[in-house]
This record gives sequence, C-alpha cells and structure tokens, in this order.
Amino acid sequence: MKRPDVQWITVTSSSLSLPEAGTRDGSLIHCSAPYSRQQQPAMLVSCWCLYLGAQRLYRHVLSMASVVQKLITPLFSGTLEPPRNKVTVVGVGQVGMACAVSVLLRDLADELALVDVVEDKLKGEMMDLQHGSLFLKTPKIVSGKDYSVTANSRVVVVTAGVRQQEGESRLNLVQRNVNIFKHIIPQIVRYSPNCILIVVSNPVDVLTYVTWKLSGLPKHRVIGSGTNLDSARFRYLMAERMGIHPSSFNGWILGEHGDSSVPVWSGANVAGVSLQKLNPDIGKDTDKENWKETHKKVVDSAYEVIRLKGYTNWAIGLSVADLTESLMKNLNRVHPVSTMVKMNVFQGMYGIGDEVYLSLPCVLNSAGVGSVVNMTLTGDEISQLKKSADMLWHIQKDLKDL
Amino acid sequence: MSSTKEKLIAHVSKEEPAGPTNKVTVVGVGMVGMAAAVSILLKDLTDELALVDVMEDKLKGEVMDLQHGSLFLKTHKIVADKDYSVTANSKVVVVTAGARQQEGESRLNLVQRNVNIFKFIIPNIIKYSPNCILLVVSNPVDILTYVAWKLSGLPRNRVIGSGTNLDSARFRHLMGEKLGIHPSSCHAWVIGEHGDSSVPVWSGVNVAGVSLQGLNPDMGTDNDKEDWKSVHKMVVDSAYEVIKLKGYTSWAIGMSVADLCESILKNLRKCHPVSTLVKGMHGVNEEVFLSVPCILGNTGLTDVVHMTLKPDEEKQLVKSAETLWGVQKELTL
Repeated sequence: MKRPDVQWITVTSSSLSLPEAGTRDGSLIHCSAPYSRQQQPAMLVSCWCLYLGAQRLYRHVLSMASVVQKLITPLFSGTLEPPRNKVTVVGVGQVGMACAVSVLLRDLADELALVDVVEDKLKGEMMDLQHGSLFLKTPKIVSGKDYSVTANSRVVVVTAGVRQQEGESRLNLVQRNVNIFKHIIPQIVRYSPNCILIVVSNPVDVLTYVTWKLSGLPKHRVIGSGTNLDSARFRYLMAERMGIHPSSFNGWILGEHGDSSVPVWSGANVAGVSLQKLNPDIGKDTDKENWKETHKKVVDSAYEVIRLKGYTNWAIGLSVADLTESLMKNLNRVHPVSTMVKMNVFQGMYGIGDEVYLSLPCVLNSAGVGSVVNMTLTGDEISQLKKSADMLWHIQKDLKDL
Repeated sequence: MSSTKEKLIAHVSKEEPAGPTNKVTVVGVGMVGMAAAVSILLKDLTDELALVDVMEDKLKGEVMDLQHGSLFLKTHKIVADKDYSVTANSKVVVVTAGARQQEGESRLNLVQRNVNIFKFIIPNIIKYSPNCILLVVSNPVDILTYVAWKLSGLPRNRVIGSGTNLDSARFRHLMGEKLGIHPSSCHAWVIGEHGDSSVPVWSGVNVAGVSLQGLNPDMGTDNDKEDWKSVHKMVVDSAYEVIKLKGYTSWAIGMSVADLCESILKNLRKCHPVSTLVKGMHGVNEEVFLSVPCILGNTGLTDVVHMTLKPDEEKQLVKSAETLWGVQKELTL
C-alpha cells in the first residue's frame, strides 16, 4: 500500500487548485510580477505553457495513483495503536484450534496470534481462519514460529505439549513437557510480560505449577484450565437427569483434573435448593439413586471421547473461551480453575502446605485470579484434596531444571 | 419414596413439550461438518442440532464432545445417530458428506464418488424432513446441488449450494487487506462455478458505493498495474494452498455455512452468492446450478438478483454451464 504518497497528492492538488482529472476548465494561474508592457505577452505565453505542463504532470501523477489513494483520504497517519484485547494460542492441534475458533466466534479479541513449531500446519490454519474474517469481528489474525507475533497479549492459552505414550509413566511425560515449556514460557513472558497464562496441556495441575515457576509471574496470573471442563460435564450430566439446562444446575468439581477430582455434593443445588438436603445419601455408595455414577461418568468421559474419536477438543475449547471471557471483560465470575493453594509461608488452603496447583472456585477478572472462594468442604473432601496435593508434590519435587 | 428429582421439581404443564422450531441437521462429521456444526452452535441459531454419519464411533465421540460443552451453549438438544430418524423435522439440512479433494486434485474429479453417496443420503433426509431446505456443501458443489435437487424431488427454491459464498468471502478478505478496510465494508461478488472458473464481477466491486473499477478502469485486466486480477487468482488458489499446508479446509467454509443458515432460519432475506438453477439466465440453456446473488429466507432461495454482466463475463458463465452439463449428462441418477 503506497500510503505515504497519498498526503503529497492531496496537498498538491488542493494547492494547485487544478480541475478534476478528465474535466476541462479554462482557469488560469496568474503570474503577478512587475514586467514591462513589452514583455507581458511573452510572460503570458510562458505562464500558459507552465500551466499546461503542470496540468499534464498532475494528470500523469493521478493516473499513477492507486485505487487506494483515489478512494481513501487518510485523516490519521501516526503509528497504529497496539491491540487492546489480544489473545495468543500456543499449539495449533485440535485443542488449540477449538480454543481459537471459540474465542473468535465469541468476539472476545481484537487480535489473535497462533504459534507452533509445525510451520505448514500453522500457516494453513491461520489462512483458513483469515478466509472467514468476513464473518468475524477479529480484524487481525497472525501466526508464526517466532514468538514476536504474540507481543502485547492479554491472555495466552498454552495447549502445546506431548501426549502419554503407551506404558509411559506420568513423571516421564511431565519431564518431557517441562523441556518443551522451558522453550515456550520464557518467550511468551518476554513478549507479553503483563499477560495472564491459561495452561491447558495435561497433566494440567503439574504443568500449571511448571509454568508458574518458569514464567516468574505472580501466582494470580497463572491459571490452569483445571476442573472447569469436569464441572461443565458434571453440570451437563446432572442437568440431563433433572431435565433442565446445565446453567441452571449448580455443581462444583474441585481438586485434581482427572481421576481423583472431588465432586462437592454439599454445593450441588437448583435454585438454591440443596440436593443433599433432599437426599442425604447423595454421592455415597449407599445412595439408592446412584448419583455417584454421574461423577464417575465425568471422570470417564475424556477417555470415552478419546476412544471414540481420537481426542477431545470442542468442549475444552468452549470452556477455555468461557474463562477468557471472564478475564478479558473483567467479569469477576467464579470458575473452578487450577490455582496455587499455598497462600503464603504460613498457610495454604485447607491446610495444604505444598506448593501445588489444584482447582478451587476462583473469582476471575482482568488481573487474573482476583480471589478464591472458601468452599465449605467435608472432612472427607478435604482429605481427598490433601491426597491429590501429596501426589502432585511427589511428582513435582523430582522435576529437573525448573 | 419420591426421588430427589420429584422432591425438587414439580411438573405442572399439561402440554406435551413442543418439537424443535429451528432444527438443523449436519450430514457428515468430518472437518467441514464439525466446523459448520460448531459455528452454528456458537451463533445460537438452532434449538436442536442433529449429526449423521456412517462412522459410528467418530459420530458418537463428536456428539459427546459437543454435549459436554452444553453449559456454554444455547442449543439444549444435540443428538446423533447413523439412522436418519434423528434428523426428523429439520428446517435446514447441511450436506457435507462425501470424499474430499486430495492435494492437487480438482473438484470435478470427485463427482461420481459423491453421486453414489448422495443416492443413499438424499432420499433418507427427505423421508424424515420432507419440508426441509437442503444446503449442499460437498464438492463439486454445483454438480452435487443439481444431483441433490434431482434425487430429492424438492422444488428448486429448497435446494441451495454453498457455491461461491466462500469464494466471495475470500475475495472480500483479500480486498480488505489490500485497502486496509474490514471485509464487511468491501463489497465484491464472485459468481459462477465454485472453483477454478469462478467469475469476479469487477463492475460490482465497491466501497461505500464507490466503484473501484470507476477509479481504475484497467481493474481485472492484464494491463492493470495494481494487478487486481491476481486477487481473484489467489481466491481460486486458496483452497489448494490451505489443503497443501494443513491437509483440508474447514473453518472458513464452516463459518460461511453458518452465515447462510442464519439468513434462512431468521428469514433475513439477505443476498448471498449461492448456487441455484440458472437455466434461462445470462444465456445459459442447460439445467445447471451456478452461483448468482440470491435472496435467502425461511422458504429458502426465493429470488435471484439479475446482475448486469459484461459479454465476456456471461461467456464465462455459459462456458462453465457447458462444462458442468458435460459432466452431468454422463451421471446415472
């Protein structure tokens, strides 16, 4: 775009006061100068020739002007402002792209950046999204292997990482992902020092801890997607049994994202009516209605979907967009996400002394985790959280090079 | 002993729950089908979404994954089955099923493979949703829309091909990039055959009503110093390029399908370049489907906008029609 030229043309044409290209106008430029009577006709002729030459030059220049220059008169030609609502997604696999599309279709960002190591796939995904820009309200979609494209992001979603190989221990998987994160995280923070990091890669609680350590960011700015998805699945399954919409069923799953997540039955309610009060056995093995089965289905869902279609992506993508919305719009909504349970040297939530990340109900706003809701948990629920914490710390303490 | 549910909720309505009012079915849960499904869900267009495919595991996995996101959506019923009975009473049926282009393969090559698949799909759709509007996406879309029209027995206003809706969107994106303006403010129409011989109507390209060809009479010709013709070439090449880079295209076509569904379901009467029967228009004598600007509403494609085309643009349409008819007449339907 030959923008710098435009102003020159606009200024020139107005100062020459010349007619529009293509029209005929007999206006003359008067050369006022003190010449003798004898010299005046010659001067007039010279002025006329000058005028004709100038007009020819003007028309020539105008015909060289591009469509942009003829169509648009810029009013502001300073440096463009940096984006105010930029989101970066690291990793363009199925999960990363589901997150990206959900963020785009929810109109959450004014700029989206994609990063990955596989350059062809990355470029292809970016082009495919750009081709849909007519239908979107995110004017700038960029991508690159280099993290400079991610500069000035408000939220960075990390979906990169490796999956467990058959027979591989969790510790080995984690160490491999630590090595990947050692490359990713410092680069993200370098270009977006004020961002909020949402970690999605599994095992999410351990990797959120790893991210926190590698980033050097304060703990309220590093979040793990945690049990946000488990809770969404729980609310969907419970609501189906009730015949109502998931958003009208309130239920929280906390703790570790995965097999040992903790359903807080005491908090499960519809319109404030506690289900546990109606059915004191709810969640126990003695429960005739076997509500515990619903939580088991939540734990099994991921494995089930992976078995059927190879991976999960839509639900996690939608849940990440939901978190992003609270962060970008400073909503102060409460979400179950993975956060640091150790508050300070003296105390941790629920008496947990280790530096681990577990999902708790967090108030999310534009600063990240604004505060944590102190849920009233039964002794049994607290001991489950403590057990998860112990196990996570057991893995974390052996990690090298953090 | 009443259950927890009975203690919690008292059912008071004597009416049967009403059926879906805006049901959409997506046939085919490949990358395009799922991109369309997700775009439709995220635009809150429908109160029931049905998915159909032959691959049962993949189908079940996809529907579960979408259902798990129900908390974040406003479509309470998402169902799927191999059996077409789940598609009953659909308002719009999006057909994405079929083989896809391999790297370097042209769309016309896919024809016969996809005709055979359609012979199974289309009658099943009509059986359960006799009043639906069919939106055909599978390639080669113009031929397959004709095939769907023949196999369904539906009137021509109820069979629409996604056509050059995507080509026009890509053109407007590239035009927007060139001008520094959002694509929705850059107006351009690419019509005709979806694919290699689509026709960019240069006379219609404008911003705020200012004709760009008026500012640059060489636009679209080989003499054009700004080479706007290459913008159209990039549109034609886009699909091949994205396929080469990531293996397939999905997001853009998914979003463009949702855009069409929105006009139909909300009875917007918006004008879109989609594939319809063009016999008798622009000098076309064959019974073929090509993209022209059409008005879409809740009874489907109700009107066609008659564009003033240059002789060579009309010639291109006639030539595309002849090519398409050449392929169509060999098909066994």
